Amino acid sequence: MWAAVVGVPNGPVRSADEWCTSSSVFRFASKFQPFPPPSPPSTSASATAAPRRSPPPPPAMAAAAIHQFAECITCHAWSPDHSMIAFCPNNNEVHIYKFFTDKWEKLHVLSKHDQIVSGIDWSRSSNKIVTVSHDRNSYVWTQEGHDWVPTLVILKLNRAALCVQWSPKENKFAVGSGAKSVCICYYEQDNNWWISKVVRKKHESSVTSVAWHPNNILLATTSTDGKCRVLSTFIKGVDTRGSHASTSTDWKFGEQIAQLDLSSMWAFGVRWSPSGKTLAYAGHNSMIYFIDDVETSPAAQNLALRDLPLRDILFLSERTVIGVGFDCNPMIFSADETGLWSFVRYLDERKVTTSTSRASQLSEAFGKLYGQSKQVASSDTVEPSKPRGGVHENCITCIVPLRKGNDSIVKRFSTSGLDGKIVVWDAENHIDIKK
Amino acid sequence: MASSAAAYLDADENLEAIISRIEQKSRKIETLLKQVTHLCASRRGGGGGGRSKPVEALKTALEGTPLKTRDERCKSANWIVVHRAMMAIRDVDGMFNSLDPEYYDILMKYLYRGLSTGDRPTCDQCLKIHEKLTEKAGLGCILRSLADTVNTV
Repeated sequence: MWAAVVGVPNGPVRSADEWCTSSSVFRFASKFQPFPPPSPPSTSASATAAPRRSPPPPPAMAAAAIHQFAECITCHAWSPDHSMIAFCPNNNEVHIYKFFTDKWEKLHVLSKHDQIVSGIDWSRSSNKIVTVSHDRNSYVWTQEGHDWVPTLVILKLNRAALCVQWSPKENKFAVGSGAKSVCICYYEQDNNWWISKVVRKKHESSVTSVAWHPNNILLATTSTDGKCRVLSTFIKGVDTRGSHASTSTDWKFGEQIAQLDLSSMWAFGVRWSPSGKTLAYAGHNSMIYFIDDVETSPAAQNLALRDLPLRDILFLSERTVIGVGFDCNPMIFSADETGLWSFVRYLDERKVTTSTSRASQLSEAFGKLYGQSKQVASSDTVEPSKPRGGVHENCITCIVPLRKGNDSIVKRFSTSGLDGKIVVWDAENHIDIKK
Repeated sequence: MASSAAAYLDADENLEAIISRIEQKSRKIETLLKQVTHLCASRRGGGGGGRSKPVEALKTALEGTPLKTRDERCKSANWIVVHRAMMAIRDVDGMFNSLDPEYYDILMKYLYRGLSTGDRPTCDQCLKIHEKLTEKAGLGCILRSLADTVNTV
């Protein structure tokens, strides 16, 4: 599982070839992790339902709260104080709900986009919401009194925007798109206008995910060309030289710092660790990759998963990672003292034994298919005989941290997916978070 | 991808080298398989020692640098060798006791190649191994064998 260290003697930009060779080395070096035995069926943990329809949830479960907001949720984001949530119910609207003592109430519907909203991010200190959509536009929403006022950001794209994230200083945001490009947007005071600068010709396919390095300059992207890239987003007049590490002073806008070619398939869910030392992303070939010191001397590890691929990743701390995806159940990964990453366990205890016969596997697949269309009918009742038995009943596409203050460790996080649920997970009492 | 295209081009020039590598592998496998029949003949039902030899043969078949060629002649020559080793496996459960997880992904890929032939005994054997392999390595293994672009089988 531990892979070789790939050092680069000359220049910061690493070519695809170097990584190609290294990836073939890693392939056979990967080992399967021992998986814990399936837990016996339990009745108590069947569901911790939304507050309005059930008694308080049993505290033994990692899922602290489950809310069925829609049939399907493409993305979600929390307000800075975590009292409000914004999500897209798989259409052109963004719904904002607020939690009042015992139940969630819909406060606003932001309907300015023409097509499915694919990304939402809510800035923590400036309280701005940025949304991107398949209609190729982006809006920055600011709260004025009770209302949310949109400002159009023209991204200059000819394909859908797919993902968005505010930079750590919240003076820029990055948008990944299907136009094989990344937009870096920043506010221009003089014109009272958001400007989009596009990084073109770096990606060979759609950009599925973007992640900001804590230094506010480096941006990591994953793409359906299977590569993960690290780009500089230095913008004159917005960023100042010397505000980041000394090695980076000569990075220009759009310059490629590194290109990782570890996955032969689509890549998803790139994230930096809190310090920016480690980068992680997932491949659609059921692999997760961890790269240390990507700007200086990258060392990569790849981990083969036993089950279905991941879609998104979250660092709880420097050495604990949660991966979510097609398995409908968050996976915990952790690194030991030597920096060796391994799969720990599933966060949500499964309530079905894995020794199911072929026939039941088939019916499980059918159940999943039908489950999507029957979601509305079944949302009001807790079904004890759900085939998968987990909290999420379909692919999890989004994981968002619920940070408190300046705490570098994430103790709570939420997930949403194609089943339309938003689940808040309590990590503190259920995961051994390594610092 | 420019890099892989270059690699393929390189390999095309060395078709003879690849063929000779496959022949070498084939000879090694034949030796290993002959030892089995010899052992089995000498001590009837001798289990242990005899059983691990087909697995050694299979490991040899799965091992080695990726072919990296689109040449059908090389691919089928290689497949004949792997097929020979695969069909020699009698005890599938026993095979997995001594087959390391690093072979799982590539074995899965050869199993699908075997199933694509449509040949009855081959498919029977492939399905038998496939069942155990999926149990052991999970769906992730199937995904990786589908996604693999490095090894041509």
